[in-house]
Amino acid sequence: MEGVLTQLAAGFVSVFSPLNFAALTVGLVIGLLIAVLPGLTLVMGVVLALPFTYKMDVTSAVILLTAMYVSGTYAGAWTSILFRVPGEPIDVPLLWDGYTMARKGRAAQALGWTLLAALFGGLVAASAMVLLSQPIAKVALTLSTPEYFAIIFFGLASVVSLGGASLANALISLFIGLLLATVGVDDTYGAHRFTFDVPILADGIDYLIVMVGAYGLGEVFTRLERGFRSAPLESVGAARTRLPRLKEALALKGTFVRSSLLGLLIGIVPGAGATVASFLSYGAEAQYGRRRSQLGDGIAEGIVAPQAAATSSVGGAMIPLMTMGIPGSGATAIILGAFLLHGLQPGPQVFQTSSHIVYAVFASVFLAVIGMCVIGYFAVRAMVRVLEFPEVIVSAYVVMLCILGAFAARNNITDVWLLVVFGILGYAAERWRFPVPPLVLGAILGPLAESTFMTTMISFDNDWTVFFTRPVAGTVMLLSLAALLLPVVRQLRHKRRIVA
Amino acid sequence: MLDVARLKRVVPYAVVATGAGYLYQVAANIQYQARAGVLGPDFWPKAILALTIVVCGYKIAAALAPGRRGEAAGVLEHLIEESAAQRGGTGATAAGESHLWLLLGGMALSAGYVWAITRLGFFTATVPYLAAFIALGGYRRWGVVAAVSVIGTVLLLFFFMKVVYVSLPLGQEPFLQVTLLLMKIMGIR
Repeated sequence: MEGVLTQLAAGFVSVFSPLNFAALTVGLVIGLLIAVLPGLTLVMGVVLALPFTYKMDVTSAVILLTAMYVSGTYAGAWTSILFRVPGEPIDVPLLWDGYTMARKGRAAQALGWTLLAALFGGLVAASAMVLLSQPIAKVALTLSTPEYFAIIFFGLASVVSLGGASLANALISLFIGLLLATVGVDDTYGAHRFTFDVPILADGIDYLIVMVGAYGLGEVFTRLERGFRSAPLESVGAARTRLPRLKEALALKGTFVRSSLLGLLIGIVPGAGATVASFLSYGAEAQYGRRRSQLGDGIAEGIVAPQAAATSSVGGAMIPLMTMGIPGSGATAIILGAFLLHGLQPGPQVFQTSSHIVYAVFASVFLAVIGMCVIGYFAVRAMVRVLEFPEVIVSAYVVMLCILGAFAARNNITDVWLLVVFGILGYAAERWRFPVPPLVLGAILGPLAESTFMTTMISFDNDWTVFFTRPVAGTVMLLSLAALLLPVVRQLRHKRRIVA
Repeated sequence: MLDVARLKRVVPYAVVATGAGYLYQVAANIQYQARAGVLGPDFWPKAILALTIVVCGYKIAAALAPGRRGEAAGVLEHLIEESAAQRGGTGATAAGESHLWLLLGGMALSAGYVWAITRLGFFTATVPYLAAFIALGGYRRWGVVAAVSVIGTVLLLFFFMKVVYVSLPLGQEPFLQVTLLLMKIMGIR
């Protein structure tokens, strides 16, 4: 424990170095602006920022992206509360009580509760991330390939189970993502797979191209089809923040703690993320909250629950990334990309070989949480004004940054053509209700899934039952199957209810 | 009797299944030196493609079968719908009017830009692209369009070539000279 605190203290010192601190500040401001800007989502923002980090030091690069990730879960609340414009699904639950509270003339109080919830949830999750990471990394060192495969399978199963209007569509999306990851020269045999004599395809399809195309360009195409028509803004008064009194905050301690822990746990599950955390936490408040019957009437619990959970999910999502190298969300996948671009593979070994970087990143999460709240408190009025910026101009630059990001990855125009293809694929997925997250997570985790599966098959004489007979792997596989069956069970129950 | 709506529902799955079938054939012909008792490099992609075909087959069969079936949706979808229904409020963003020509125009413009960038160079291709995209999106303040396109392109050129050292496409003659001149002015070597 003492060692952890010493390393964390060194991490804080590192973050306060001029370059890292500048990266943190820039990341926070851009993250907050992105969450407010029309047409930009948290993941898109982090994707688009990646090319700007190519020449940065790994610590500064990861600090910048992490700061954007943290602050991106917060500022969307402002537009939900003030203008009834949820930047992305994370912020939808904030409409129900946040906007309602604002319409009753208490917008400043609603923003105050949001700030306090983000601060509390963020700090709880950051503390848990620091305390849990090293023990988890130690356990991860003892795991073998069947366990790793089972964990990856769990991540893929949860993203399928969570998203989309159709389980079958989510599965198809996932399979396309996994297939994209097989393009290139195979590691074991050196065989060319789906390269079609295109030289650059021998190096495979970079998952960042898939992400930038599907999330960035695909989203712009979807908005273009709608003619960039945003709903008219319904302002509910001047944007300023009034923090609740200590007594008022203490009265909600149960909500703060429950939501933060729930967000942390959901963040740890690969495939889940801030949106799931936000909705589930609101749902938990509706089930167990003291004033559950008043939810929706503009009470503080309805603001604290989703916001605390959304921000705390960031700390949770950083745990599997740093300890096992498994990104559980779109944003952590890009952070993984930043690590890999700088030649560093997150995982249990990184705690021994590059612990100074790990703890600098951890320290930056604490400072990012505090920093975003400080900036949010003083600058909310100025920042929400960017909502008036024409969406089409923002989108034009999003396309430019997508193209430049794809080109800069390997300085090859074929990657830009691939980007356009994935942009169209992303649009088509949205149009025909195939969820994009399983496709992207499939492309990201595909190589790891295949290599752990193939290594297991080689080590255990093609005996696939090892995934079920080894205690840890078996438990995780059963959880995965349960996750996959959950939507089916819910559907059957729903049917039965209708019949009854 | 099959109605058009049902057939329309089948199309995306039929396309994916056909593509998967073709790729399965490609995977079956992957060249490699087999090793006894070790799965080949074709195993993993073939397994994924087979599963894709099975799921598409299920969807096609479900769409063509008589009667209307409910479908198992993701847990998050349920949560959003249930919560929105309970609160009587906004779920996700409502679907708006569709502008297919705008979409096709945007896609064609973007594809044209990628084709042009290596020939015209970054600056010469990007300025008209940005202006055209913004105009296509319905923005009509031409002074702003021009300023945003030119200044933005210059800033991007400067940042990527001078600060991040990304070698952006210079273009072919005579457009190459435009890029070189701009680089000289900005002190980019």
